[in-house]
Amino acid sequence: MVAPARTPLRTDRLRAVNEPQPVTVEFDESGVMTIGRPDGRTVGKVEAILESWRIDDEWWRYMIARAYLEVILEGGKRLVLFQDLITGQWFVQMP
Amino acid sequence: MSRSSTSSLAACVWIPLFPLRCEEARQGGLANYPTALLAPDTTRKLWQVSSLARHAGVKPGMTVSQAIGLCSSLRLIEPDPVHYDERFSQLLSTLNEVSPVVEPSELGLVYVGIDGLKGIYGSTEAIIEAIRQTVQPSDRPTVRLGFGLGKFTAWVAASRAKPGEAVIVPVGAEKKFLASQPNSVLPLDSDTHRRLRLLGLRTLGALAALPEAAVTAQFGALGKRLWRLAAGRIAEPVEGRIAPEPIVAALTFFTPIGERELLVHSLDQLIARALKHPRRIGWRVQAVRLRAGLEGGGSWLATHLLKDPTADAGRIAAPLQTRLEQSPPTGAVERLILEFTAFAPGTTELQLFARDAQAAARAGQQRALQSAAREIRMRVQGGRANLYHVIEVQPWSRLPERRYALIDYEP
Repeated sequence: MVAPARTPLRTDRLRAVNEPQPVTVEFDESGVMTIGRPDGRTVGKVEAILESWRIDDEWWRYMIARAYLEVILEGGKRLVLFQDLITGQWFVQMP
Repeated sequence: MSRSSTSSLAACVWIPLFPLRCEEARQGGLANYPTALLAPDTTRKLWQVSSLARHAGVKPGMTVSQAIGLCSSLRLIEPDPVHYDERFSQLLSTLNEVSPVVEPSELGLVYVGIDGLKGIYGSTEAIIEAIRQTVQPSDRPTVRLGFGLGKFTAWVAASRAKPGEAVIVPVGAEKKFLASQPNSVLPLDSDTHRRLRLLGLRTLGALAALPEAAVTAQFGALGKRLWRLAAGRIAEPVEGRIAPEPIVAALTFFTPIGERELLVHSLDQLIARALKHPRRIGWRVQAVRLRAGLEGGGSWLATHLLKDPTADAGRIAAPLQTRLEQSPPTGAVERLILEFTAFAPGTTELQLFARDAQAAARAGQQRALQSAAREIRMRVQGGRANLYHVIEVQPWSRLPERRYALIDYEP
């Protein structure tokens, strides 16, 4: 039996793209940030902060407040991360 | 010899939401769910929605995110314009079996000239029934048929018909029939409709009751045409399509050849040459004939009627190559002649859905994409590869994860 040529795109199969991924951020005595994965592996140390911005949204529903940082890691890797200002958790996300 | 022809008596065949009906015919059970077709030019918006989706408040033109908010069980379908054009071409071909005068208007809307058909079928009802039989069985419950003098009367009759039924306007009764019809049947933009409403004109009868000069003064040349349509003064005939004459390409060999490979190669050359013929542009080949003049005076002939008309050289060549393999010419070939003898409207020429070349190209790209996706599925992970299509959900959102979503891509 031949399967139908095309099947409808069901909205219950929608998958999110670019969801924030949780990371850990630690500061040493000199204030240098080190970013790590939840499993304990290190992503890298922050060499420079290129840009910072803040998003406050949906205050009428569930308040969203994020402080974004665009950083350069040691070795030159570019990363965008943010801190959820409500929970204090850190995440990485594509800009 | 091909020629154009016209017919003043018209039958209008209307299958509303034709693309959606094509999808329902292709995917059994789809009609039981609220469904919507995505717009062909931007997948962010909806193009056509089923009645179940309408009940949930979903409307054409809505964004995907709005529609999902209203109907979480909505099934979204990517448009397949090439398939719709092919289905519509099939409809035109079968209607041509009833009448030689067939004029496509837009996807799902066709006018059929029926002058002189009473002599064949006996009555108007029998002609209408013959037309109904040409429609795919899956479309018969939804097709609406109208009969009248001129295309406009036939269209209004079809628009008033119940699904699966016909409205016949006898010749001479056009004015009376049209008078009670709402102005929405007129081919107008929304602004002119609004102006007519503001003037208190709600029916064609009310419009026709005004002096022609007054309507012309208010709406210009458009108003003149509207008044004439409303008053039944215009009966635009159905204009049949002009089918091209047969296209012939021939090759004479200085040394007669018998090798099959050479014949196949020559056949490919002839097909390529015939396809490039200016008369072929906009038409797909439906019937093909290959003749060979043999050394010593004999001949060889192969004819083939393509079930699916095509302009693809490979698909035209395949049945002829099979014939060359299974029953080759009995002698060396001196001359090979290829003829395209019948044609069907080409999808790019029809451009009913894809009205411009760019849109037609998009449709072709989509077909190629679907083919590539099938190939990937076959090659990767034994057909279990997951393919996704990126759709815009809230592209304006400041939150990056809200802007796009992945949706299963199943060509």
